Amino acid sequence: MLHLDYHNVLIQSILTERFSGAPPVNIDQVVSDFDGVIFHISTPETKSKILVSIQVKCYDELVTYGAQQVLEREYGQYIVEPESGYNFSVQVDLDNLPAEKEARVELIHKVALMKRNAMAAPFENAFDEFHTLQEEASKFTSEEAPQGIKEGGKVMAIHYREEEAIYIKASHDRVTVIFSTIFREETDRVFGKVFIQEFVDARRRAIQNAPQVLFRTDPPLELQGVPGVKDSGNGEIGYVTFVIFPRHLSKQRREEVISHIQTFRDYFHYHIKASKAYIHSRMRRRTADFLQVLRRARPENEEKERKTASGRTFKQGS
Amino acid sequence: MSQSLRPYLQCVRSSLTSALCLSNFASQTSERHNVPEIEAQTSPEVLLTPLTVSRNENERVLIEPSINSVRISIKIKQADEIEHILVHKFTRFLTQRAEAFFILRRKPVKGYDISFLITNFHTEEMLKHKLVDFIIQFMEEVDKEISEMKLFLNARARFVAESFLTPFD
Amino acid sequence: MASHTPAVVMDNGTGFSKLGFAGNDSPSFVFPTAIATKGAAAGGAGGSGSGRPAVGNKPSYLTGGAGPGGHLGMKRGQEDLDFFIGDEALAAANGPGYGLHYPIRHGQIENWDHMERFWSNSIFKYLRVEPEDHHFLLTEPPLNPPENRENTAEIMFESFNCAGLYIAVQAVLALAASWTSSKVSDRSLTGTVIDSGDGVTHVIPVAEGYVIGSSIKSIPIAGRDITYFVQSLLRDRGEPDSSLKTAGEIKEEYCYVCPDIVKEYSRFDRDSSRFIKHEITQPGGKKVTIDVGYERFLAPEIFFNPEIYSSDFLTPLPTVVDGVIQSSPIDVRRGLYKNIVLSGGSTLYKDFGRRLQRDIKHLVDARIRASEAKSGGAKSGGLEVQVISHKRQRHGPWFGGSLLGQTPEFRSYCHTKAG
Repeated sequence: MLHLDYHNVLIQSILTERFSGAPPVNIDQVVSDFDGVIFHISTPETKSKILVSIQVKCYDELVTYGAQQVLEREYGQYIVEPESGYNFSVQVDLDNLPAEKEARVELIHKVALMKRNAMAAPFENAFDEFHTLQEEASKFTSEEAPQGIKEGGKVMAIHYREEEAIYIKASHDRVTVIFSTIFREETDRVFGKVFIQEFVDARRRAIQNAPQVLFRTDPPLELQGVPGVKDSGNGEIGYVTFVIFPRHLSKQRREEVISHIQTFRDYFHYHIKASKAYIHSRMRRRTADFLQVLRRARPENEEKERKTASGRTFKQGS
Repeated sequence: MSQSLRPYLQCVRSSLTSALCLSNFASQTSERHNVPEIEAQTSPEVLLTPLTVSRNENERVLIEPSINSVRISIKIKQADEIEHILVHKFTRFLTQRAEAFFILRRKPVKGYDISFLITNFHTEEMLKHKLVDFIIQFMEEVDKEISEMKLFLNARARFVAESFLTPFD
Repeated sequence: MASHTPAVVMDNGTGFSKLGFAGNDSPSFVFPTAIATKGAAAGGAGGSGSGRPAVGNKPSYLTGGAGPGGHLGMKRGQEDLDFFIGDEALAAANGPGYGLHYPIRHGQIENWDHMERFWSNSIFKYLRVEPEDHHFLLTEPPLNPPENRENTAEIMFESFNCAGLYIAVQAVLALAASWTSSKVSDRSLTGTVIDSGDGVTHVIPVAEGYVIGSSIKSIPIAGRDITYFVQSLLRDRGEPDSSLKTAGEIKEEYCYVCPDIVKEYSRFDRDSSRFIKHEITQPGGKKVTIDVGYERFLAPEIFFNPEIYSSDFLTPLPTVVDGVIQSSPIDVRRGLYKNIVLSGGSTLYKDFGRRLQRDIKHLVDARIRASEAKSGGAKSGGLEVQVISHKRQRHGPWFGGSLLGQTPEFRSYCHTKAG
């Protein structure tokens, strides 16, 4: 597996199975997703009504950036009162599904993307703001543009994990997405540095049109004065900046771009772990080789297997 | 093989071969015990002068001979942070499996990455020159493995970064 | 963060892996413990390469084409990312290019490279969690060597940095799972677990949460054998379809345990409604109907009368259970008879527990009567035999793990990387 899925596989597989007309059953599962997101998939009333609820740590923050509107747009008629303990719920009635197969598949996919959609609001916000600023800015030459346009929009902070956050800021010529990262483990920190360096270099070397990636261990300029951003001083916290250019921000591409950039942190950590797994398998192999060499030092192992004329092996009694 | 590696390994090989003249020797301090004197360090008269073979400031081997046991400690080359962490990972992986290696010490001597302890019982059971072969081969392979792992890590990091950024292209 | 996320419970068995989160009553994912990797499958049982990565003189990724324009996926040196697990592995292995491997054999992990990648995919693709945020509960078979446990911990901590790890013995978890049954009153961790999966059936005595290793017995009769037996009966009768799949379906849908075979035969002969017509759609769309008859009660009967199926193994399951308990320390036997817990898919037949209880009771009572007779007049107080069937039997160990994983004390039982 190279890329992480954008959707939740479990929700997708449960709904796909339920929608296929399998005999109705009770469902009651509380499951996690990345970044401490918790889903509750249940059939509280009848077996034919599936309730999917999501709990996101930073939901209040997301709401201030317009998460409610995004979710309403995406889920419309399926939205129900949020289940207690959760931020947002949708209910799908198996007896009242869209008639066309495509629409049903679409619905499954949409519900499975609930985490992505809940997190999408600040990105959409920033992308919209960019377009406004761009339009404003086009009225001026770069020198005489008013201060507000030069500076760009406000920084939106999403504290999606206990110790890590995403910051998004729109300007008239770009949208900046900054991930703060922290490593608890020395090996991961060193591996992480190697990986990040390649992210930074990739654009220069291979993929000219990719977003620019910057890395530093003190808060970047954009985050100055943002509450809660502190310079740890010891380089423990790193800041990974993605500069997203207008070509990524077009209406046709933004959906994909939002989905993709959201997976950055988990993709990054997944691959650090996958490399460690690979290194483990190399070490297992090497260890086996070393043992083989050492075993050669035992004289009795040098003895050739002795065979009788009929091909049976035998051992000499000592 | 680089210029200095061959003489380095050659030197370790001959020093080690001569150090591996071990005989059974009962403890002088505790009755009916037979312990590796180099570990016990209780009878100075049975300990020989330790010997360090250095290739450069980062790579060296310490050979500590005694009447019934020899301790060999290796400092593996670590050019940077990545190699340092890989050496640490690999040596720990090996020491976790010390049981299978007979002569591997669970803890390295201070200042070194990995230590082996060869006693007279080992040299009686195993072929001495093959044990030396093992140490030499280990030294060669461990460097190779570390640099291969580092190459892998860089290649993987590049692949992963490019794969993530390609969809934007 | 790991303090309030649900614990991850993974029960990796020889045939199937059960994955999910603590607190749920069933696993989120159940799929074969199989991995499909690039290249041919390891041939035979002792597969030569055992799937190690190639460590050549010149690492392969150095020769891989780099630079723009080169298709990234085609670069060499990334083979370790190119694999599938579970049902996707079975599907991939049907096509070209992939070989199928089963990293667990006889309950124990045999190929660590494959298992490590199997876990990686389980965690990141299916469960979708950052292992640093979660505690993990894994299971192990009884008599798992300590090295295996160390290797597991090494992977979970070194590769995945999991927040905490607890490795529990499957049989003990199966005992804990039975606490949901109304028959269980005292929630003890003493009892006899009968764990019957696809390949083998184990009878495992557990005292105070510790497995009595010397008394464990295995029986070479389990789910697969029942399927084969159904299949052979279908073949003997010349049914239009006697594939393994059909036999499996019949086994799961119609089989049950009867109190007495002879009576059951005559009951069938009197009442023709007991014969069932099973309709299946063959690949290709053709529908055929098969008659289902005596195999309904004969198939599970091989646990109780193995001689109708096998000529090598002839000891009935109740006798084995009785023997296991008799070979355990005398002071725990009463507890072992009182709490015989079923676990695994092949114990789900209707009335399986009832029949087992009756047969074991017969053996026990006969022995008591004999010793009463010998003692010349002494009366025994009797011995309670109770077989516990419960709702969560199918994934017993997983469910037990789920129960344990959601208790407030669980996190304090866990090992952490430091400890």
